[in-house]
Amino acid sequence: MGNMIEGFEFKQCISILKSTGKKAGNLHALKDLIAQVSDDSIFHHTYQYFLKEHILEYTNDFAHWAGESLEERSLAEQLSNIDPYEYDSTSDLRKELLSVIGNYIERFPEPREAMRGDEFYFNETITLIFPIGIRVKNLAEFLMAIKFVDAGSIYYHFYEARMRVGGGIDDFSKWIEESLDKKGLAERIRAIDPFMHNTEDIRRHIAEQIEKELRGDMEVMGVEE
Amino acid sequence: MINQYNGISPKGDLLLLQRLARVLGGRSFLHVNSTREGGGVAEILQRMIPILQGLGIDARWEVISGDEQFFEMTKKVHNALQGNKETVTDAMWQHHFEINRQNAANIDLDADAVIIHDPQPGPLVEFKKKGVWIWRCHIDISNPFRDVYNALGRYALKYDAIIFSVSKFARAMNIDEFIIPPSIDPLSEKNRELSDDEISETAKRLGIPADRPIILQVSRFDRFKDPLGVIKSYRMVKKYNDCVLVLAGSPATDDPEGAAVLNEVKEFAANDPDIHILLLPPFSDRDINALQRMAFVVLQKSLKEGFGLTVAEAMWKGKPVIGGAVGGIPLQIVHGITGFLVHSIEGAAFRIRQLLNTPEMADAMGERAKEFVRKNFLITRQIRDYLSAWYIMENKGKSIIEF
Repeated sequence: MGNMIEGFEFKQCISILKSTGKKAGNLHALKDLIAQVSDDSIFHHTYQYFLKEHILEYTNDFAHWAGESLEERSLAEQLSNIDPYEYDSTSDLRKELLSVIGNYIERFPEPREAMRGDEFYFNETITLIFPIGIRVKNLAEFLMAIKFVDAGSIYYHFYEARMRVGGGIDDFSKWIEESLDKKGLAERIRAIDPFMHNTEDIRRHIAEQIEKELRGDMEVMGVEE
Repeated sequence: MINQYNGISPKGDLLLLQRLARVLGGRSFLHVNSTREGGGVAEILQRMIPILQGLGIDARWEVISGDEQFFEMTKKVHNALQGNKETVTDAMWQHHFEINRQNAANIDLDADAVIIHDPQPGPLVEFKKKGVWIWRCHIDISNPFRDVYNALGRYALKYDAIIFSVSKFARAMNIDEFIIPPSIDPLSEKNRELSDDEISETAKRLGIPADRPIILQVSRFDRFKDPLGVIKSYRMVKKYNDCVLVLAGSPATDDPEGAAVLNEVKEFAANDPDIHILLLPPFSDRDINALQRMAFVVLQKSLKEGFGLTVAEAMWKGKPVIGGAVGGIPLQIVHGITGFLVHSIEGAAFRIRQLLNTPEMADAMGERAKEFVRKNFLITRQIRDYLSAWYIMENKGKSIIEF
């Protein structure tokens, strides 16, 4: 009898959107408001950007607005290059956003005004977390589940976990390392760059890695027989 | 009832609804608006109340009554909130309050959560008994006429929270403001699956030819929907690709300008046999459904728009939609992915041609559009959000709530 393996319980988060009522029409106002709004608002416009299904050329809402509404392409590129997962806290990320926008304003002190109705609207979210009734005990079951769960579940375990667990570690690789004792696979999953993908890409990459691992396991079993 | 949505709505939405029903089950949830039928609010409430009841929530829907003077005044308020300059006198506001006072005496306002829809029943908050009171503003108030906005604000600020459809409709106010977009019901007559026979029967009855691709716009005959612009786009396309244009709307009995616009449209169409102008009676939901399903590409070339749910309706049928980049349309159309956003007649014509010439692109876009609606604009998501807002208001101060 081997050790009892602790199962992995899939959860999901759903975010309910709230308006802060604050909006910025130009870069000066954007900078002032980034300095003032809640951590929840900064979190929503940066980390939660990865919940979006169709990420095009930007990596957060501020970059998207600078590029699309203000047509400040160079700033949009700089803001898009900020990887929120490099920062230990939302307040460090906020400082970096302010620094990038501040430097840009110093070089181009008269930025454009957004068209009316196209201002930056600061929102925040309340996150509801709930188990989705799927608990898996081995890698094969995990593979089935990861293909089946909603994107909100991938987001919760792969993205949101980094802030919750800390150290840039996601729930999936943590379980695979700690409960299944598969350090190599855990490392390969950790090597998937969260910053460069949306949740559907992440789902595909993780499934590929697990399939590869399972195939390897089965080949070994075949040899042993 | 909620089980009917299994396999249609996102699993997570249905699971969260069940969790919320577990904590809110047996409690009372009242919705109040000013019309039982006609308009998007009544349409969605008709479908939503039975679903809420099926979840074990004691949901009720009450409708306030008023006289002609009352509805004339509230129409002015509606227009003023959308930016028109309107004169609303103190006497009119007094009458608005008085009608609501009378209604408050006749309606049971005792509920654990109350959602009051739009400005007509706004003053009912003065007669609040208990529970969480939320004002649901369906109107675009991003650029309101100040006097009227301020006068209405005295009621709005007495609510515990406000719900807007789009972030840019929200204002800086010192109360909780939720952003909850409207939704469509995939099981309603307007959106349910139709058989090929049902679709071809409708095409035959309405005289729509099936031998060429159909370009469709479903909307009131209203200048803000730019029907003449749609015909101009169609004519640009027609030079290169044979196609049929269908403009479908309901007769504008309550809108004197509607008849004038319809005449302009007919005149402009100039008896082109391939332009079909359809005046459908109210509640032609199945015909609209069939038209959307037979279309190759759907337009919503609005110049001004509230949310524009006809976009989500067409997307749900797997159609690529070309929409004006106004109101709530950009929330539904991710440009180049789930449809095309356009800013001109030429832009609309170009995108129609592009889709007609690359049907595989139209198919892929339509497929993504349907999935985008499934994840974001179905009625189950809206109910999930309403119940969440209620639960959040009862658990204030938490940014993460774990069930």
